[in-house]
Amino acid sequence: MNLFQLILKQMRQRALSSWLTILSVLLGVGLAVAVLICRHEGATLFGQTDYGYEILVGAKGSPLQLTLNTVYNIDRSPGNIPYTLYEKLLHDPLYRPLVRLAVPTAVGDSYRGRRLVATTPAMFNIGTDGQPVPENKRFEYRPGRSYQMAAGQVFDADKFEAVIGSDITRLTGLKLGDQFQATHGFPLPGEVPDIHKPKWTVVGVLASTHTSADGVIYISLPSFYCIAEHGTGLVAQEAIREGKNIKEVAAQVKAEEHQAATVPGTTKPAGDDDDEPDHYTVDAAGKINLTLPKEVWGLSAILVKARAPSTIETLMYDINNGRDAQANNPAKVMREFFTTFLDSTTQVLLLISLLVTVVAAVSILVSIYNSVAARQREIAIYRALGATRRRILTLICLEAGMIGLLGGICGLLAGHLIGAAGSSYLEATIGESIHWAVVQPEELAYLGGVVLIAVLAGLVPALKAYGTPVAENLVAQ
Amino acid sequence: MSLQVQNLKRQFVAPDGSSVPVIDIPTLALGDNQQVALTGTSGLGKTTLLHLLAGILTPDSGSIVYELGGRSTDIARLPEPQRDVFRGRHIGYVFQTHHLLPAFTALENVLLGMSFGGRHDRAWATHLLERVGLGERLGFKPAKLSVGQQQRVAVARALANRPAVVLADEPTGALDSANAQAVLALIRDLCTEVRATLLLVTHDKNLAAQLPQSLDLAQVNRISRAPSAAAPVGGTVR
Repeated sequence: MNLFQLILKQMRQRALSSWLTILSVLLGVGLAVAVLICRHEGATLFGQTDYGYEILVGAKGSPLQLTLNTVYNIDRSPGNIPYTLYEKLLHDPLYRPLVRLAVPTAVGDSYRGRRLVATTPAMFNIGTDGQPVPENKRFEYRPGRSYQMAAGQVFDADKFEAVIGSDITRLTGLKLGDQFQATHGFPLPGEVPDIHKPKWTVVGVLASTHTSADGVIYISLPSFYCIAEHGTGLVAQEAIREGKNIKEVAAQVKAEEHQAATVPGTTKPAGDDDDEPDHYTVDAAGKINLTLPKEVWGLSAILVKARAPSTIETLMYDINNGRDAQANNPAKVMREFFTTFLDSTTQVLLLISLLVTVVAAVSILVSIYNSVAARQREIAIYRALGATRRRILTLICLEAGMIGLLGGICGLLAGHLIGAAGSSYLEATIGESIHWAVVQPEELAYLGGVVLIAVLAGLVPALKAYGTPVAENLVAQ
Repeated sequence: MSLQVQNLKRQFVAPDGSSVPVIDIPTLALGDNQQVALTGTSGLGKTTLLHLLAGILTPDSGSIVYELGGRSTDIARLPEPQRDVFRGRHIGYVFQTHHLLPAFTALENVLLGMSFGGRHDRAWATHLLERVGLGERLGFKPAKLSVGQQQRVAVARALANRPAVVLADEPTGALDSANAQAVLALIRDLCTEVRATLLLVTHDKNLAAQLPQSLDLAQVNRISRAPSAAAPVGGTVR
């Protein structure tokens, strides 16, 4: 009968107490491991240094809000910026030498809770001519990673077509060839949804990216502006920006729409509602003829890749000094967010879980101390059979260590299960998952620390056992 | 194996703080393969003497020398860890009450006796239990065994390390007459089998008479004699 068998015997002898102590260790370690995973994966998820583009341009306001909204498709958009800024970035002599590529996005609508992002085919590396863009103009959402089509094709820039993320079919039931109508904003439970009239047809499905893009529906920018409320809203915003009379601007837009509607070969969309002015017609080929002037088009953000690293700061400086927009490096924003919020929060959580671990160690101490008090005769028998004091000390300390190890291993598993649950939640909410199954070196170091603390906790009862008088306990009955 | 005790003294501290001498034995000797009954009334210090001989207690003075394989070891002078190891390897101890561990099976109790002596011989442990008539109950825990069977397991455990000497402290004290005879016979047979010297403490003179030799503690321990009759005494084996 070796030492290990003896320890297991001792533990089985007081199984309830042993299991409860193991449970207390499990809780402490599970919590700490979950925090360690959160900390590590949070840094990986939010603290990454490269997004494939260096600058996010959006409405002035919170850089974090802009980044969360644009990159992770959560939170509200901080507001609109004029579409003309996008054109400036591409064509203005001031910006053009600094910009390698720019991709505009506009958000505000949803379908069954999933976000619609209006953009140009450039996001999927299709040029204005419908052909793939050259290598140096490829848009990458992460360094070296572009969106790939799993099925179908990229939407036409001027049609009511959509490309869906890889999780959309699972999340909403939409599939290739289906038609859908967008919902205004994100209605709360119980709220009557405001469903827009236009109908988009799904023409493509993206390959999985394991990013929030997997849960997004992409449509073309012009089709986004065809939504009546969007046109009216944009006109109003433009009027306010320019200090114009809103009614006059609206009347002008209506006259232009009337003119467009009378163009031979075009039709007003079916089911049109006269109460809401439409800003487009659709030709026989399904092409949108948008009457809303580009001057009033708004964007939620522009994703910009600079021509060279040295131009990034200049570009951001120029944009930030203008009236229209802010420009930020999303990697820097997320690093700051992680450092100031997530990092400190996880540090506090880590401290709490360490305290829980210490409490668990104390429970080991109390549990074994009580058992030693109740096992004086048993220890005396061990001694009478030839066990040295040191052997008894080792036996008790190893029992404590074994409880720490079992609780620690179970806690490690529990922590990773919490990580798995967190990963599922993140995937459902922002479309990003974490590597919950990977055991980090610091977790193993922590586990080693837990076993060490447990052994040290066992030292107190072990010393009591060490001092057990043999003869007295053998005689006493 | 031989055991030589010289000027062995041990006293305890009474609750009132005074010293109470319990053992004062000028000389006592046991030879190889002897089977000796140590008799005496209650309170004479029989158990204390066995504890001293086993190294469970240390004497205040005197020596306890074991001669094993031509090597002398005075366990009274051994540091405690070595004394524990010596006990585990060379001394088998049968307690008055069996002192089996309740969570361990009969076989595990015997194996436990071996493990602290640095051995592991499952076959020998099984053989011992078969010899004491418990071959069918190897996996039984003490609670499932009768008192007589429990004491037989304790006998097997004491013999597990093939000790040079077996110290048995009233091993039949809790047994009825038939069981007492059977257990005594087992102890004697097994001691003969492993060539161990046996020192068996009993207050039962009939039981003591069954052993080839006996020793009255009252004759060897000065403390049991009246203070006025403090003449030198010596251990004599009948």
